[in-house]
Amino acid sequence: MTCEISSRPLSLSRVERHLGDPASGAVVFFIGRVRRESAGGRRTAALDYETDRAVVLARLRDLERQALRRFGARRVFLVHRVGRVRVGDASVIIGVAAPHRAMAFRAARFLIEELKREVPIWKSDRWARAPAGHRRRTRPRPRGARSPG
Amino acid sequence: MKSSVRVRFFATAREAMGAASVDREVPASGSTIGAVLSGLAEEHPRLKPVLKGSRFVRNGRYVGGPRARVAPGDEIGVHPPYSGG
Repeated sequence: MTCEISSRPLSLSRVERHLGDPASGAVVFFIGRVRRESAGGRRTAALDYETDRAVVLARLRDLERQALRRFGARRVFLVHRVGRVRVGDASVIIGVAAPHRAMAFRAARFLIEELKREVPIWKSDRWARAPAGHRRRTRPRPRGARSPG
Repeated sequence: MKSSVRVRFFATAREAMGAASVDREVPASGSTIGAVLSGLAEEHPRLKPVLKGSRFVRNGRYVGGPRARVAPGDEIGVHPPYSGG
């Protein structure tokens, strides 16, 4: 299986192990991490991710097939966290192996953009009170800019 | 014999409903996802705006929209806009 939903911390080396292919001269990784955001005396402590397990893997496999077909990628591995993910931890890792770097970059970009649009995964903020020195109000970022990358 | 459908809610839909799922009686034939959800939205007004931007799943497959038919025993998923990554 090359698409996974995991409730455990993600491993880049595990993703890399799935991308072995002697005909691929390029490997690209995308790692999305939870980043800190501050607003109104609060700051992000973590994000909670949820999914609809009835359809999520089929959706991810469809994206994988598209990346192989449209961009000439030869191997794809995609894993997304669910549950609580702390600031700084990876929420998603995408790895692509392709004969040439342009193919690998394009396929990886396609996969993360489509994942955000077409895959049933949702996140919600878990806030903590910011330390006194950090309680300045910052302009909230639009929802679409909330995610890593 | 079942006479209801189960509706599962995610993210903002679950918050609007205050529940992850509900069971709803439906007739043996002729009902739609839209009919089921309209009834729920009348009881839970916060659900109504969420439904406008949502996609729907029936028994693990996406359907074209609220006109999709449902029958007793079906499971419906309500998917607000996605925000993974």
